[in-house]
Amino acid sequence: MSAAAHTARLAELRSADARAYGGKGSTLGELIAGGIPVPPGFAVSTSAFRAFVEEAGLGGMIAAETSRMSPDDVDSVGAASHAISQAMRFAPVPDDLRVEVSRRYAELAEAVGVEEPPVAVRSSALGEDSQDATYAGQQESYLWVRGADHVCDAMRDCWVSLYSPPAITYRARLRADDPAMGVAVQLMVDAEVSGVLFTCNPVSGDPSMVAVNASWGLGLAVVGGEVTPDDFLVSKITREVVREHVHAKEVEYVPDEAGRGAVRVPVPEERRSVACLDADALGALVDVAGTVERYFGSHQDVEWAIARGGGLFVVQSRPVTAVHKPAASAPTSAMAAVMSAFGVDKKA
Amino acid sequence: MAAPSSVGSFPSPYEIETPPGCEGWEEMYPYYARFDEERRDADEQRFWFWNSMHFPVPMPAFDAICVDSPYQAIGNWQNRVFAVPPAMGIDWRCINGYIYISGNPVLDPAKIGERAGYFQARAGYYYANWDELYGKWREKMDALIVELGELKVPPLDEYEPDAVAFEDQETSYCAVIQAYRHALRLLDLMWQHHFEFLLLGYGAYMTFAELCKANLPDIPDQHIAQMVAGLDVLLFRPDAELRRLARLAIETGVDGAFVEGRSPEEIDAELTQSDAGRAWLAELESVKEPWFHMATGDGLYHTYTSWLDDPRIPYASLIGHIGALKAGEDIERPSDHIAATREKLATEYAALLGDDARTGFEELLALSRTVFPYVEEHKFICDYWFLTEWWNKIREFGDVFVAHGFFEDRDDIFQLTRLEVYEALDELALTWATGGPARGPRYWPPIVARRKEILERLGEWTPPPAVGAVPEEMLDPALIMLWGVTTQRVHAWAREQEGSGSELTGTAASPGVVEGVARVVRTVGEIGDVRDGEILVCSITSPAWAPIFSKIRAAVTDIGGVMSHAAIVCREYDLPAVVGTGRATSAIKTGQRIRVDGTAGTVAILE
Repeated sequence: MSAAAHTARLAELRSADARAYGGKGSTLGELIAGGIPVPPGFAVSTSAFRAFVEEAGLGGMIAAETSRMSPDDVDSVGAASHAISQAMRFAPVPDDLRVEVSRRYAELAEAVGVEEPPVAVRSSALGEDSQDATYAGQQESYLWVRGADHVCDAMRDCWVSLYSPPAITYRARLRADDPAMGVAVQLMVDAEVSGVLFTCNPVSGDPSMVAVNASWGLGLAVVGGEVTPDDFLVSKITREVVREHVHAKEVEYVPDEAGRGAVRVPVPEERRSVACLDADALGALVDVAGTVERYFGSHQDVEWAIARGGGLFVVQSRPVTAVHKPAASAPTSAMAAVMSAFGVDKKA
Repeated sequence: MAAPSSVGSFPSPYEIETPPGCEGWEEMYPYYARFDEERRDADEQRFWFWNSMHFPVPMPAFDAICVDSPYQAIGNWQNRVFAVPPAMGIDWRCINGYIYISGNPVLDPAKIGERAGYFQARAGYYYANWDELYGKWREKMDALIVELGELKVPPLDEYEPDAVAFEDQETSYCAVIQAYRHALRLLDLMWQHHFEFLLLGYGAYMTFAELCKANLPDIPDQHIAQMVAGLDVLLFRPDAELRRLARLAIETGVDGAFVEGRSPEEIDAELTQSDAGRAWLAELESVKEPWFHMATGDGLYHTYTSWLDDPRIPYASLIGHIGALKAGEDIERPSDHIAATREKLATEYAALLGDDARTGFEELLALSRTVFPYVEEHKFICDYWFLTEWWNKIREFGDVFVAHGFFEDRDDIFQLTRLEVYEALDELALTWATGGPARGPRYWPPIVARRKEILERLGEWTPPPAVGAVPEEMLDPALIMLWGVTTQRVHAWAREQEGSGSELTGTAASPGVVEGVARVVRTVGEIGDVRDGEILVCSITSPAWAPIFSKIRAAVTDIGGVMSHAAIVCREYDLPAVVGTGRATSAIKTGQRIRVDGTAGTVAILE
């Protein structure tokens, strides 16, 4: 049976599945395994992308276009990207894949009891979310997608983003051939507040702090740098807010009233300069930060959302790539450190 | 050639004017405490800061002994015993009755290296044998307090006692002069002991704090303090005894005597009328020794008496505690919570560190906890217990002078310098012996009266936080450790000296943000003015101000670091505190609305 040839529930994935499903999908699977609240969903394997390319007969055309371009020539990159993208957009999603995705989507709808639940469709690239090469931001996410056909369209759009000019330039420079991409489809959280957290202070390197950036609405505003988010530094040990900067948050993303997609709207005046997280919410974030950090055994950069009406969800996690290491040099002994405090030459 | 009107961003100490009516204030202080023309070139280039931590009000002439004696002692230990490599001792000068201090750095690298050898050997010995040496220290101090108590100040009666005639007892005039010398010596010995461990104690703590900050750059200062602070702190015992007595009063049904506004005498009068009341008074009597040797202030002035001398403070606390208990409040110091937090912080921070840093962290935490009993206990033993007793001993000499017409009041003795007292005592001994007319009774009273008036006027003048040159860098470990005067702090003072300054910065000493009405309190005598819900603004507090902390919502001080008493007590009472602002008492007026951010270490004047 090829019933589940190209897809898997997120909860079934582990890090070893990263080669097949991309970094995002496998990380979400790990988060679920770690008992971290993650919106339910499923992932589409890179094999689906390959099947799509093969069935549409695009392989030769893609190879020809990419071999013709030069990464240093912006025009040639643009031309290649345009040609490949157009061809992909007009190519059909294979029927068996379409059936499989529709069935996964229907399972999700049944699980949450909503006929056409809104989902986020995100690219899950190979090598993405790894500590070595951060592809972050080079691939697209589609928010508030509803209906199986639209999910398939969004999935194809994710694949198309693999051939955006920056993406193909990046690969050309790395001499990385044969790209493939997984896709993660996740139930959408109607976020009242969302943002990112670091399980350490990435600026000072302090491992006892959780650094939180947060703003109103869906996560796009913070991740895309469209607002100056509220900024908190919270002690992991006591939950005290050690530092807090509340900024005027001018815009937020909310679900489009038409039912599909997210729109950018101004934040009502009276909410702009109000702190978007209180002590309880920060406490819950510190809890989640601790769980994620312990589970992965390294400092993590976590995207999260708090649903309207409550409920904290993690929608993504990846290792912190650049942590400032405190400049502390460990003293040879406690007594040597005390001597040094009194000005006894450290070399003596 | 005109002299510069200011040096750096602080005023020159030579440019500060005498407030009207205070002319001649200099005569109250030693010749060497002045900013004199002979040392102008050097002194103007030095950084001097007002030691408002210990000397928040103008010094009475006699009390200046509590500048000389401690600075002799700290200089001796720092410079001559331990030979702290980069710093000798601390000099002091007086401006308009206020005490400014400045460190003496060691700049010659060869000399620093030579001193390092002494320091490592001698300080190393102390750290290695701390508990044993500190045990001996406690014995020395106990003995010193007994010796002070046993010191007799003989009266000069019309006839010498029989014992002089028949038993070869020392004559009274010799004995009274000797007793005065002895009293001065006991004070010197107390200060000698006081500073024996102080630098090393604070140094170990500071080193631990620095290691914490290097590895955990965002760690709040109060977490460092909470990890080190002792659980059974001597300083909190007096108030703990009062809380116990408050419970006892309710249990035995005598709490009705404790009515707000009643004097201690009125309360005692009611208590003596019932068996239960008398039993309660007997219990009170049993805790007075030693816990009522708590001072009403930080001890360096004769005006800071003990609870034994002025029972209004403990009685006010008793009334407050009884009221709170009856209102169903929990007044206990949450010692279980404090102990749990102490261990939780230590364990969890250690777990976050890498192996190398964790070893240093654990060793330095252990060392800090070893030295900390001294840091916490010396205050009660030296500054409160000994010193309040010592001022009372000097008052006994005041009584002798009053008996012979030199003074109207025993406390007038504190308007003379210690050398003038010596001189007056010599005259008294002489004229008492000869029977001739003494000049003292006409000579001293006008001087005493004028000095009292000058001190009162000087008290209305606000000294600048610092004078002289702005140092590029503060290197003196003692000034940093004991006063919290870091490079950063000094530069902030210098900037604020220039700015308009509706915001003050200091050390974040106890977390939380509070807005409220300020109450500026300059002396302990004013603490009765503090109203419920106000924010205390003062130079420095001591735990002896206990009654205040149950009333106020936050505290702001001019000077002090995260281990200053206001900081410790505010953490105990869970009140926001910003310490070491340099100028809170001059920048803030009573009645102004201010916002205290004890997390960020800022104070905003809102109106």
